[in-house]
Amino acid sequence: MAKGLDVVIVGGGIIGLAGGYFLSRKKKRVLVIDKGGFADGASGACDDMILFQSKKPGINLELTFESLELYKRLIVDFDDEMQFKNLGGMVLIENDAELAIMEQFVAEQRSYGLDVEVIGQQDARKKQPFLSDHIIASTYSMMDSQIDPFHVMRALEKHGLKLGMGIQRRNGVVAIERLGNGNWSVVCEDGSTHEAPVVVNAAGAWAPSIAQMVGATVPIVPKRGQIVLSERIPPIGETNLWNAKYLVTKLHKGTEVQMTDEERELGLSLAFTRSAGNTYLMGSTREYVGYDKGTTIAGIRGIIDMTLSYLPKMKDVGIVRAMAGLRPETPDGKMILGEHKNLDGFYTAAGHEGDGIALAPVTAKLLSDLICGNPIDRDLGELSPNRFGGMAHE
Amino acid sequence: MSDENENRDMLICRCEEVTLGEILDAIDEGFVTVKDVKRATRAGMGLCQGRSCSRTIARIISERTGKSLEEVLPKSYRYPVRPEKMGAALSREGEDESNN
Repeated sequence: MAKGLDVVIVGGGIIGLAGGYFLSRKKKRVLVIDKGGFADGASGACDDMILFQSKKPGINLELTFESLELYKRLIVDFDDEMQFKNLGGMVLIENDAELAIMEQFVAEQRSYGLDVEVIGQQDARKKQPFLSDHIIASTYSMMDSQIDPFHVMRALEKHGLKLGMGIQRRNGVVAIERLGNGNWSVVCEDGSTHEAPVVVNAAGAWAPSIAQMVGATVPIVPKRGQIVLSERIPPIGETNLWNAKYLVTKLHKGTEVQMTDEERELGLSLAFTRSAGNTYLMGSTREYVGYDKGTTIAGIRGIIDMTLSYLPKMKDVGIVRAMAGLRPETPDGKMILGEHKNLDGFYTAAGHEGDGIALAPVTAKLLSDLICGNPIDRDLGELSPNRFGGMAHE
Repeated sequence: MSDENENRDMLICRCEEVTLGEILDAIDEGFVTVKDVKRATRAGMGLCQGRSCSRTIARIISERTGKSLEEVLPKSYRYPVRPEKMGAALSREGEDESNN
C-alpha cells in the first residue's frame, strides 16, 4: 500500500491533470491514475476552443471568463504559449428566424459583459470571403480563443511532476474502498493500492462507473463527437466558425429549423476551427451510442456535407483523418464539481461536455480551493454532485 | 542511438518537422507508445498520418524503453487511411450525387 498521498485523482484527461497541477501547487501530494495512454479520451479528440459564444448567460459563461484569465496566467507561469490564439469567432445565421433568436441571445450575452455583436452579410464576407451566399448574417466576437489541448496537458503534467505529482497510465482503477482509518483505498488493475483521504473522480464520460465503486450516482452520459481534420492549408478566413442552427434549437426548445434527416440523426452542427497544426478541425456529431468511440462513414460524410454547405470551396481541400471523443454530458448542461454527500473526501470533477478544454483551469482552481478548504467567492451549489437528488446512499 | 547527441536534429516526422531529440525527450518524460509520442510532439499528425514515421518511432521507443514493438505500436487505424479531397469523400460510385 502506497502511503503518504493527500489526493488520488482518477482520470488523467485535461481535468485530472489540471486538478493535479493546481493541487500540487498547494503542496498536496497527488497521484493521477488513468486507464489509458496520454490524451486517450475526450481531451485528445476535441477542438481547442475557449468558446464564449455558445454559452448562455449564467455560471458557464462566468466560469469561461475566469478560465481564460487562468490560462493567461498559466502561459506566464509556464513561460509557454501553448499555442494560445485569439482569432475570434462567428456564428453563421441562415434565415430571419435564426437572426431574431441570435439577436436576442447576443443582447443577453452583452449584458453579461461578453463583447459580441451581430454583423451583416457584407461584413461577414469580409472576414470570411469563402462563405456560402445563403448566409444572411453572423455574430462576431473577438473574445473566442483557443489553446492546444495536447500542449496544455503536456505542460500541466511536466510542471505537476516537477512539484512532485505522480502519474500512472495504462492502469485502470478497479475498486475504491473506505478503510478503517477513514481514508480511501484505490485499487488498480495491476494490483497496487493507493491510500489517501481524498479521491477525485475526474473520469469524464467514465465518471459514473468510478462513482458506482463508492455507491454514488453521477448522471453523466457519453455523447460521441466525431471530428474531421483537414490537411494543412493557409487560413481561409479571419475567425473560427459555428452555425446558429443547432444553437437556436438549444436556446428555444421547439424552434423549427430546417435540418436534413442526416443532420438530425447525427446531431450535426458546425464547428470549424483552425488547429495548432495549421489544419482545420471540422465537427461535429452529437450521438448517443454508449461508449463506442469509433468514427463512422456516415458521420464523416455528414460533417463534410455540412461544412461544404457553408464553405463550398473546401471541396478541393484534403482530409487526413477523423476522430471521435465521448463528451461527458450532464442533465442540465453544467459540470459536476464538489464533494459527495455522505462520502467524506470523495469528489467528482467531470461532466464538462464540450467545454473541458475551456473550463479545465477554473475547474482545477475551484477543486483545489474546495479540497484545501479555501474560501470561494461564489456559490457552487448549482455544480454540486448532490444537486440531482438521491445521490449517495451508504 | 549511441551517437544520439549528434543526431538530435535529425527529422523523424517530416510532415510536422519533429526531430529525434524532441521524440527522445518525450519518451524520457514518460510518453512511451507511438500514440503518446504523437500527442505529445505532433509526430505522425501531419499529412502522411504517420505512415512514414510511426514504425521508426516505434523502434526508437522500443530501443529506449526495452518495450516490445507490439506494446508501443497502435492497435487500430482510423479512416481515412489516405488523404482525400472533401468533394471526393462525398461522391461514391452508384450513389446519387444530386444532393452535393
